Amino acid sequence: MRQKALFIVPYALWIVLFVIAPLALIFYQSFFDLNSHFTLANYQDYLTSATYLKMTLNSVWYAALITVVTLVISYPTAYVLTQLENRQFWLLIVILPTWINLLLKTYAFIGLFSRTGSVNQFLQFMGLGSHQLLFTDASFMFVAAYIEIPFMVLPIFNALIEINPSLLNASKDLGATSWQTFRRIVLPLSMPGVKAGIQAVFIPSLSLFMITRLIGGNRVITLGTAIEEHFLTTQNWGMGSTIGVVLILAMFIVMFITGDSREKGGRH
Amino acid sequence: MGKNILEFKHVGKRYDENVVLRDINFGVEAGKFYTLLGPSGSGKTTILRIIAGFDQASSGEVLFDGQRINDVPANQRQVNTVFQDYALFPHMNVAENVAFGLQIKGVKKTVIQQRVKEALHLVRLDGYGERAITAMSGGQRQRVAIARAIVNRPKVLLLDEALSALDHKLRVDMQRELRQLQRQLGITFIFVTHDQEEALAMSDQIMIINDGRIQQTGTPVDIYDEPLNHFVADFIGESNIVPGVMKKDYVVNINGQDFECVDAGMKPNEKVEVVIRPEDLDITTVDKGELKATVDTQLFRGVDYQITAHDQREHEWKINSIHKTTVGAQVGIVFDPEDIHVMRYNESEEDFDARLDSYEEDED
Amino acid sequence: MKRKVAWGKVYLGLVFVILYAPILYLMIFSFSSGKTMERYHGFSFQHYADLFADSRMITIVINTVLVAVLASLIATIVGTLGALAIKESRGAWRNSLLSLNNVLMVSPDVIIGASFLIFFTVLGIRLGFISVLLSHIAFSIPIVVLMVLPKINELSPTLVDAAYDLGATRWQALSRVILPAISPGIIAGYFMALTYSLDDFAVTFFVTGNGFSTLSVEIYSRARQGVNLEINALSTLMFLVSLALVIGYYFVSKHAGRRQRVVAVKEGDAQ
Repeated sequence: MRQKALFIVPYALWIVLFVIAPLALIFYQSFFDLNSHFTLANYQDYLTSATYLKMTLNSVWYAALITVVTLVISYPTAYVLTQLENRQFWLLIVILPTWINLLLKTYAFIGLFSRTGSVNQFLQFMGLGSHQLLFTDASFMFVAAYIEIPFMVLPIFNALIEINPSLLNASKDLGATSWQTFRRIVLPLSMPGVKAGIQAVFIPSLSLFMITRLIGGNRVITLGTAIEEHFLTTQNWGMGSTIGVVLILAMFIVMFITGDSREKGGRH
Repeated sequence: MGKNILEFKHVGKRYDENVVLRDINFGVEAGKFYTLLGPSGSGKTTILRIIAGFDQASSGEVLFDGQRINDVPANQRQVNTVFQDYALFPHMNVAENVAFGLQIKGVKKTVIQQRVKEALHLVRLDGYGERAITAMSGGQRQRVAIARAIVNRPKVLLLDEALSALDHKLRVDMQRELRQLQRQLGITFIFVTHDQEEALAMSDQIMIINDGRIQQTGTPVDIYDEPLNHFVADFIGESNIVPGVMKKDYVVNINGQDFECVDAGMKPNEKVEVVIRPEDLDITTVDKGELKATVDTQLFRGVDYQITAHDQREHEWKINSIHKTTVGAQVGIVFDPEDIHVMRYNESEEDFDARLDSYEEDED
Repeated sequence: MKRKVAWGKVYLGLVFVILYAPILYLMIFSFSSGKTMERYHGFSFQHYADLFADSRMITIVINTVLVAVLASLIATIVGTLGALAIKESRGAWRNSLLSLNNVLMVSPDVIIGASFLIFFTVLGIRLGFISVLLSHIAFSIPIVVLMVLPKINELSPTLVDAAYDLGATRWQALSRVILPAISPGIIAGYFMALTYSLDDFAVTFFVTGNGFSTLSVEIYSRARQGVNLEINALSTLMFLVSLALVIGYYFVSKHAGRRQRVVAVKEGDAQ
């Protein structure tokens, strides 16, 4: 029994120090103002300030849009992948870009989207004229979706290949067309994957701050951007923590809504 | 003789270089219970899949009610399948599973409800409609799968190794129930199995498949008593198969000893194989025996003793006897002329039937 | 049916183009003799030469690799012990341990970064190498646990009994039976931790101080100042290293007979 206890010491220490303590601290910190006085003012400010509430709604709205765009692109991708012979290989090809540093991928879009960048050169070539692409909402969402696609494809792919092929035969056997089979069997059975994908995309999209800065040009303020700003720029840790608590709450809500999806696939 | 509801004409199936079915021909009469029996990899499931429409024949014709259906997709065939793993939709409850086929066809809701209820009643699952599939036991799932198929009133019901996932006792119960259900509904059942006991117990007709060919077709009794070749004799039941020479009609020579038998129609001195079922052999004293043998092993099996013994020519015999003996004892083995079944090498099913007809007519 | 698959392939091809175009774009311009990513100016290794002459960048690369290797090594040890502990635990304990384990997996990086920043400040730990290393260890541990735990669960319970039956001590059962049997999971966990660490930006951005930087943070600050083809050269090299890591991971997991889920994906990427 003693030995068993020794096993768990480093891991338990990690849980206490790096899981429980930081979360407790961020909660605790949210009750302090700039002068280290205990106060509820941060929450009061947050709940009464149109700027904060609007920012939160905005952030949720953008995260939702990014999630929808990613889902619309990823579901067919995952579905086609499952139909291929070397599907594990092709899946690897879809996943491979996630191993490339996120910053580098984002940086690439700075070049691609710049005023005289390749995309504009292409648009001009097509006779569509050059446009301001960088620092627009559209470019921010495009880059975010681009980065999230593999995280959505993977859980959906896993849910799809888990569907017993004889269920599809059974459906056909009972008279269903391909479309009916898809709508009534494949789609409902892949929902756990879709939910896991939404979870994997929506929460990070709420907290993005690097892409908002580099591509969105600070036009889009997300919860993540606000936290980063309060902690690292204005040094108002109390308010930053309050927004952090809001973000954690949002995370739990999303997890609750997309809950009961089994712990499969996703990025975990 | 009713007319064939389903017919295979020279059907072959290849996957790339791999030949799975070779020149399959058979007809299926309406309202009977057929079993496709064969070892795994014999091609029996492929035949089923071609009937259902999940696989396409590479050559030949599949006729349903006299119409060629090679190109009719699975969802437009009047055939339903009970799958080996049941393939019940996990996101639907029992009633929803059973209703699926009717909903697809656009049957009215009230009618669906009524027919689902009837189907569940037929498989003795009254009141289980709202249960989740995961809350059902293996045997219950089996019944749901059957209900889901028969509710559509198919002309032919295909059952792919449908009982293999059940434990022995449940399997025997289901065999009886399936047979009863088939009689009650009057639907043609085509049952695929590798279990010969199951095939013998349930079928009107058995088709023995091996190596992509139909080896023999017949009633369970025919196939058991008059196997066409070594494979069938060996696959169905236990058997002693020994080489012999057909001296003349009704006399076969085994190990240099002539025996009276009931087979005829072969060339004089033709090399043949002789089948004697273990239960047709019995133990007696050495002087009364047709063969003398030494007992090697004896196992008590409840209904009888399973004995192995070797004769003077070191040939091993399997004997199922109700008489006890002792290991090492010298015994005599006795059997009757009608217990001997002679098989020619490479005889086709048609030739076999013709030969049987010829000398059985002579006798009459 | 055939037609549908063909359309599917066209669609998939399009998705692949979108996924890889930016990466190829970066790599192509790393060989341009120009100074921007707008027009290709002819082949040149100039930016690679600049990169290797950039001693600040070289130091940062070394720092990054050092942090990644150390953090994933320690995380692998702690995580493996944690997975063993979770396996030994029962009922409610087990569920709470699993939930606590997953907190850092689902938390947004900003939250991890901000809360660690408060934590280090409260403890008085100076921001720099140590704080970055501790953070990387912390967020890598749950990944290792999640990679190792399935392997432990796959172990037949009689395997350990057999070891005891044959006279092994507890330690021998662990070192000679359990650890070798779960080693594919441990190695996979190490690889995942390594890629998480190499890739992390947000957490590091919060907990790093003056004078210590990792690649992601450095790229961020340079990218904010605009295009610099030295970054392209760097990304080409990093792509090759990533590729090597992926192939290595793929080979290890395949070699160890791991089925299917070859590719677990990384959390940190999405921030």
